[in-house]
Amino acid sequence: MSSPQPRYNPDGSLIQARQLTMTYPNGAGDIQVLRGVSVSLHPGEMLAIMGPSGSGKSTLLYILGLLLKPTGGSYWLAGEDVLALDRRAQALCRRERLGFVFQTCDLLENSTVYENLEFPLIYAGVSPRERRERILMALEQVNLGHRLRHAANRLSGGERQRVAVARALVNRPQVILADEPTGQLDHRQGHLVMDHFEAVAERGTGIIVVTHDPEIAARCHRIYPLRDGRLEMAAPRREGRVADG
Amino acid sequence: MRWDDLVRVSVRQVFRHRRRYWGVILAIALGVAGFTTVITIGRDVKRNFNQDLELIGSANLIRLYWDTLPDQAPAWFQPETVAALRRTAHVTQVSEYTLRPAVVAGGGRRLEVTVWAVDHHFWHLRHFQPAQGILFEADSVLKRSQHCVLGAGLARKLFGDRNPVGQKVEIDADLYQVVGVVRLDDYSISQSLFLPLTTAQDRLRGETRPDRLLVRCATWDEVEAVADAIPRVVAAHQSISGLNVWVVWDALRRVQRVAWWIEFFIYLASGMTLLLGGLGIWNVMTAAVQSRTREIGLKKAMGAEDGDILAQFLTEALVLSVGAALLGLAAGRGLVALAGLWLGQRPQEELFLGCLGLSLAVAFAMGLGAGLYPSLKASRMEVVAATRYE
Repeated sequence: MSSPQPRYNPDGSLIQARQLTMTYPNGAGDIQVLRGVSVSLHPGEMLAIMGPSGSGKSTLLYILGLLLKPTGGSYWLAGEDVLALDRRAQALCRRERLGFVFQTCDLLENSTVYENLEFPLIYAGVSPRERRERILMALEQVNLGHRLRHAANRLSGGERQRVAVARALVNRPQVILADEPTGQLDHRQGHLVMDHFEAVAERGTGIIVVTHDPEIAARCHRIYPLRDGRLEMAAPRREGRVADG
Repeated sequence: MRWDDLVRVSVRQVFRHRRRYWGVILAIALGVAGFTTVITIGRDVKRNFNQDLELIGSANLIRLYWDTLPDQAPAWFQPETVAALRRTAHVTQVSEYTLRPAVVAGGGRRLEVTVWAVDHHFWHLRHFQPAQGILFEADSVLKRSQHCVLGAGLARKLFGDRNPVGQKVEIDADLYQVVGVVRLDDYSISQSLFLPLTTAQDRLRGETRPDRLLVRCATWDEVEAVADAIPRVVAAHQSISGLNVWVVWDALRRVQRVAWWIEFFIYLASGMTLLLGGLGIWNVMTAAVQSRTREIGLKKAMGAEDGDILAQFLTEALVLSVGAALLGLAAGRGLVALAGLWLGQRPQEELFLGCLGLSLAVAFAMGLGAGLYPSLKASRMEVVAATRYE
């Protein structure tokens, strides 16, 4: 484990990322995906990152999710310099503070809905009794309480995405990172997922959504367009209940 | 990750992918079943085989007798010597006997014969079987009965086609009742008469104390050790001057060589099966890590540490190997029980328990060894590469 790091969140932000850069080595010349991206997220805030394919949206999300190490810049999560942590401490951080919703609604295909939601709790060392309560609560939040024992590979696309959302919620994370969470859903299902996110954000969780869809982005408090590896100025789109920093 | 969760999740995973694993499970189970059966009943089979060998070569019998030297008084085995030999490790039976010439009258004929004064163990040691009547047992020896057993050749000479059982014969002016006829292929022994050793000591003239012993070892593997130990055991109770310890070494060596090769090939077959099982575990676990790359990435994104992933795949490999070993042990137990029925002997429980411990230890080591590399590979995967794996 790393030694305790100095904390930095003077405005009470959940995420403070400064001048993040990401360069992939390539034989013909390095590919610079992110060129000094700075982003912040506050409790209860919903933030959308938009941009064309290959603009670096997912890379930014993976860096913020501690799944990828940037080649430059700094990143404080709830005031902690998480880039200075070792692999184990970063895993701990992912399990306790972050929730992921992947673009491809990745579920453990040979497992039931219950088992899919149980894994994050197992890794967090939650007792079996509390696990059951939390799983039921998370599934109720996405209206899937009746699908508890269903096999993941027998769910519809919308149900799969809601299970993925419930799985991201089950550990009660401070931040949810969602990569195209509505990309494979129809209009109605997509907005249902956003309803769930809004409900979660109202309870103080910060949410970052990567999306192509302007309608989905419009439901967030701020939108960051990402072009050529740079974030453009964020514009507040709707009244939010962002907690005071 | 808690131990109970780890085991539960791993057992569930192996069970759900059982079709992928059945070949490996079968290989390990067969290897363990073969190993258990050979070890547990191998000794019983060997013992039975030894008894059968007695009929053709006496490979596990040791004969003890004294040289008769002109300037020495005849020697015999003292009771405490015989008792000590019976207590010697790996000795299963000892028979004491002596031979002396006598004239026997019966059925209207008088013949010079060799009288074998034997104890009741003699028949079992030599595997002599009655052709008619019975071969006297411990009771006759203890009660010093005037019973005798005739060799088949002698019985024919004395009584022709008549049934000799129940007839009387006379030796040294004493009458003995014929209780049985022993079936023998050896001509000279077939012309002999057998008396209980105690009766002979009471009634025959001359020296009738036992000057010969037959010692049977449990298996041929122990013959050499017992033959080496015998002079020491005898010397502790009497002089060993003129003692001869005689073993059919040629037959023993041939039997040992054949048995060694048989055992070697059985162990080799079991070992190869287990080795194949180990390679199978390596192979299926490597394939499992490859095919479950996205799952690994997903679990890491959920907060699994490298150690959690390592522990999960390693436990799956152990569940596979130890589970297959348990199946093999169950099959082996069944085979041992069947073989026990066939041999008419109870399998040795302590040997089976030893096999159980050894098989589980080998299976554990195999699962650990074969599963370690794929598990390490899984644990070291980068999350993003794993989640994007197609």
